[in-house]
Amino acid sequence: MAAARYGDALLIVAISVVSAIICEGISWVLIYRTTNYKSLRSTIDRTSKKIETMKSQTPASAIAAAKKSKSKKMDRYELSLKESSRDLSLSKFKSGAVVALVLFVVFGLLSSLFEGKAVAKLPFSPIPLIQKMSHRGLPGDDATDCSMVFLYFLCSVSIRSNLQKFLGFSPPRGAAGQGLFAIPEQKLK
Amino acid sequence: MVQSWDNVKGERQHQDSDTSNTAFKKLMNRNLFWDRDQLGDVFHWLRQAIAVICGIVWGLIPLTGVGWIIVFLTLSSAIIYGVYALYLRVNAEEFGGDGTLLLEGLFASVILFLLAWVLAYSLIHH
Repeated sequence: MAAARYGDALLIVAISVVSAIICEGISWVLIYRTTNYKSLRSTIDRTSKKIETMKSQTPASAIAAAKKSKSKKMDRYELSLKESSRDLSLSKFKSGAVVALVLFVVFGLLSSLFEGKAVAKLPFSPIPLIQKMSHRGLPGDDATDCSMVFLYFLCSVSIRSNLQKFLGFSPPRGAAGQGLFAIPEQKLK
Repeated sequence: MVQSWDNVKGERQHQDSDTSNTAFKKLMNRNLFWDRDQLGDVFHWLRQAIAVICGIVWGLIPLTGVGWIIVFLTLSSAIIYGVYALYLRVNAEEFGGDGTLLLEGLFASVILFLLAWVLAYSLIHH
């Protein structure tokens, strides 16, 4: 039967779903339910909405004329946004280490189960850079053979990111582009 | 449809408490005011749905070759653009520009598309 040959692919998807749920559960226990995270998140949402409101209220001519008080206020909000985003990133470090450990164990388990075995067939030949992952540990030269590593990567990224989005755990839009290394800049006078 | 700023703020506070289900229901009534987060969420999930459908269809036919990834990207972006520019008629500049709206959920949708395509192709044709 056609499905039986690559039926292991479904097992990998199922394991990815379960591990994504476990990882989000760990993140919820260690971060998302804490008052620190909730208040940081609400600060980021509030501040980015204020910045958007100020940008949309201020026409281009006023920006060009540089109304000092409004510009200073916006700078203060942007600085506050950067600081809150950085604090949010820092707060995620703790659970990040535990989640990484879980994923490492799951990956190790899958590697031992499917070493040297093609778990799916790719409907395209990947570029050489991607083949390093998609054909990793597989015998032969058929570039369309898919290794567990590549399939697990596809499962992890797509399932986990959408699960986070569904549960409301994805980073707030205002914090996008900010991060751990977003050092708040002091405006030069 | 021009609204006063107070009405807009009032609507925003009311709509901040809307769920994703309500956001999708709003798609049916294109004249409602859109919150940036709600619009972004709708486009994210729309992209994911398009990715799953395209992946399964591409795998069923089957369509093979890297070029079909480009076709998927073009198709899904065209659908998103059509929804906000032609159907909802929102001003993209108010939501961060065309780039911001078109990038919403793009990376996750590409990965999800690849996953659906690979699984459908492998399980049905091999």
